[in-house]
Amino acid sequence: MSTLLDILLRLTLWILLAPLLPGIINQVKAWVAGRRGPPVLQLYYDLSRLWRKSVVMSTLASPGFVAGPAVAWVALVGAAILLPIGPFGGGLSFKGDVILLVYLLAVARFCTTWAAMETGSAFEGMGAAREVSYAVLTEAALITAILALSVESGSVALDRMLALSAGTGAVLLAAGLFAVLLAENCRVPFDDPNTHLELTMIHEVMVLDHSGPPLAVILHGAALKLLLFAVLLSEAVLPMGRMSPLAATAALVGAVGAVTIGVGLVESLLARFAFRRVPLLLTIAFLLCLFALLLAWKGGPA
Amino acid sequence: MLLVALVACVAAIVPGPRWPRIWLACMVVGTGSILAAAVAVFAGAPDWEWWSAVRVGGERLHLRLDGLSAWFMALLGLVGGLGAIYARGYWPDDAHADSAARGRLWWGVMILSMGFVLLSSNGLHFLIAWELFALSGFFLITLDRQRREIRAAGWLYLAASHAGTLCLFAFFAALAGRTGSWELGPMRAHPELGPLFWLAFAGFAVKAGLFPLHIWLPSAHANAPSHVSALMSGVAIKMGVYGLIRFSGWLPTPAAVGWTITGIGAATALLGIALALAQNDLKRLLAYCSVENVGIIAVGLGGGLLGAADGDAGWGRLLLAGALLHVWNHGLFKALLFFAAGSVLHATGTREMSRLGGLWRSMPWTAVLFTIGAMAVSGLPPLNGFVSEWMIYLGLFDVVAGRSPAAWAAMPAVLMLALAGALALAAFVKAGAVVFLGAPRTRVAAEAHECGGSMRGAMVVLAAGCLAIGLAPAVFWPAAGRAVAAWNPPWAAGAPPAPLPTLGLANAVLVTLALAAGAGLWASARARGLRRSLTWDCGYASPAARMQYTGGAMAAIAVGWFGWIFGAERRQRRPRGPFPAGAHRIERMPEAVLERLIGPVAGAVMQVAGAARQLQHGRLQYYLVYLAGGLTALGTLVLVGEMK
Repeated sequence: MSTLLDILLRLTLWILLAPLLPGIINQVKAWVAGRRGPPVLQLYYDLSRLWRKSVVMSTLASPGFVAGPAVAWVALVGAAILLPIGPFGGGLSFKGDVILLVYLLAVARFCTTWAAMETGSAFEGMGAAREVSYAVLTEAALITAILALSVESGSVALDRMLALSAGTGAVLLAAGLFAVLLAENCRVPFDDPNTHLELTMIHEVMVLDHSGPPLAVILHGAALKLLLFAVLLSEAVLPMGRMSPLAATAALVGAVGAVTIGVGLVESLLARFAFRRVPLLLTIAFLLCLFALLLAWKGGPA
Repeated sequence: MLLVALVACVAAIVPGPRWPRIWLACMVVGTGSILAAAVAVFAGAPDWEWWSAVRVGGERLHLRLDGLSAWFMALLGLVGGLGAIYARGYWPDDAHADSAARGRLWWGVMILSMGFVLLSSNGLHFLIAWELFALSGFFLITLDRQRREIRAAGWLYLAASHAGTLCLFAFFAALAGRTGSWELGPMRAHPELGPLFWLAFAGFAVKAGLFPLHIWLPSAHANAPSHVSALMSGVAIKMGVYGLIRFSGWLPTPAAVGWTITGIGAATALLGIALALAQNDLKRLLAYCSVENVGIIAVGLGGGLLGAADGDAGWGRLLLAGALLHVWNHGLFKALLFFAAGSVLHATGTREMSRLGGLWRSMPWTAVLFTIGAMAVSGLPPLNGFVSEWMIYLGLFDVVAGRSPAAWAAMPAVLMLALAGALALAAFVKAGAVVFLGAPRTRVAAEAHECGGSMRGAMVVLAAGCLAIGLAPAVFWPAAGRAVAAWNPPWAAGAPPAPLPTLGLANAVLVTLALAAGAGLWASARARGLRRSLTWDCGYASPAARMQYTGGAMAAIAVGWFGWIFGAERRQRRPRGPFPAGAHRIERMPEAVLERLIGPVAGAVMQVAGAARQLQHGRLQYYLVYLAGGLTALGTLVLVGEMK
């Protein structure tokens, strides 16, 4: 019973906090540009408004067009539940949960791209093609990072893998995972979440035809994914297990905040890269994680 | 039980060509009892061994049903029976007057011979059954022998298959020569037999389709009738896997074998799926994906061998069990996908994905079942493909986390599997979306119809199997444990070294929530008003079917990264001038190994042979000259020999 309560509590926390991150990023961007910017809670308003709207669906689309975003959202929530929250450990921790997490992200990707292809639009097909192709490289980087953590901690369960820091390779790992975060969440320099037409390339283009509650679910899922990656990155780098619970919580919140502000700063200071350079950048992220893995291997038993 | 199976299968073969109903009934009984025999072994029945009183070819028949044989028998029984049911709707007598009867005959022969391969414990009879199995495969592939490419695919299959059989001949003959008997069984106490495993490896790898010996597989699986493709892909290539597992368990394997199989497996997985992504023919895509999955199985087997050499029971057992479970899983979802592809082919008459599209409306069952298969083959939870891939990942991670020397094989393997997994997702989003979603690209796609009841039923059973293994993987552990114990007795018994029940629970929760969320969102969208309108697409007034993204375009980015390996060919004419007349762009991924390596070598052999034929012209004078020349040469040889 207490496990169930624990999971429900985590669920609430993840769902409620997730839409905060895009708000913070937008604030940072507005601050750098010298504008006032939208309120931090803008996404919450947007979501509640979208939830009340009616839906327009393409004549070509099957019910999968609506089911896809729903399943993708469930997969993302599931992945978030698996991820331990600092000193509070994982909601459902078992050996190999980290692989389930990676594959739940893949489920979300499958459903999002599937729903995008429902419309028969070339534009959305383009986005789907990019999403699945670049995911090949980000998944390679992510799994290498996980290998590094696994070598460092001698375990395949998230709560033990993330308790220690990544050791000597922490800096490399942080850089690599940050690039993965930017790519997976379609932020600058890989994609531009601000635009909605030609300049939007991956994520936004896949959801062009969605509206109403399905769009709300997609936007919320995207925010959830961003939070998930921010938490994963923070915990991989910080030695959570060696701190007191209070310090660890503070460090986690601080680190997630720092990552979010970092995303905002990158978005303000960098332009989106040309598309042929995206694979190069992702390969660099992969190499960073690979060097972190080799360092962890050389570093001797943790 | 096996006797019933034998009788029923023979009964199916004899009157089968004439009476389809009797054939179907006999096939169902036969395959059902094969399945039942396997289940009986899993339920705890002791291993079964039997020697015949009569001698066949100078040897007594020796059959043996242990955990490992039973594992493959179960798959054979299931897919063989469902394929027979499917064939009733897919390849009926009124549409294929002459070949349907032949198909029934060879189907029975194939099931029977595969059963004998799995049971045979005598080298000679193993070879006979193996040859019969290969031949019946050839006749099944070329059922529709009017078409040229089908005959070509059949010949290629036959040639490759015999090249493999040649290695097996050498292997069994050498084995019999060294041990003095054709009897097979555990021979781990004879380390001098170890090097022979390489011969068996080559022979079985051809059948399994490991890179670069996969050359025959794509064309054979793509061109065969779909129920045959399902049997070939789901079960027949697993005979190669069975051979590898069986003889790596019985023979003392050299230390390098584990490393080699892991390495080749990882490379096969990655290259196979990259080639699959590049295909535009639906069944060819599925065939290349089989190559990938055999690679995944090989990674698990190689890891198991490394574990056995290392003396570590934990991860080795996990990897081998993962490989075995993947054998089942691939059999289930690949048969499902080939059945679904067959039903598309049946409805539209084409396998070209660029001519399809929008089929979900006319074929909702096939579309949903294909989606389940596509999710399973991409290794997505909560389906079965994820469970076995998860076990293999977990075993490899254990190797890495334990910092054993085998980690230098495991780390690259994990990486390759991750790449292959992401590419598989790309390939199946492409396949499913281009075929079933969007608007119909041609008239045949617009006029498609749903498949009949027998075809649908076979697919539903397979999809249910995919879901069952995903939701309750722990139920299947004892069976896998039995098979693992048959491979390496010291690894017998014991709880699974992975939290399978927890994973099953997580999967079940995921299914429930996903269904609830899907239904809930649909209901909420309906409640708020759901309007249908043209695809918006940033404001197109009249989107047309030809404006849709094509499969080739979807795959282009990732395939481009592999282009340098496979040597992609591209021909294009750009539109020129203010009124461009014609423009085209054709991309093709060649069968690199076949066209660049085997083709030229075979061509050179044919040229030499052709040149040698010049000598035969029927003129007597020249023959006399040959004779004189030959005698002189022989005489010289003798003289030289005497002088020494």
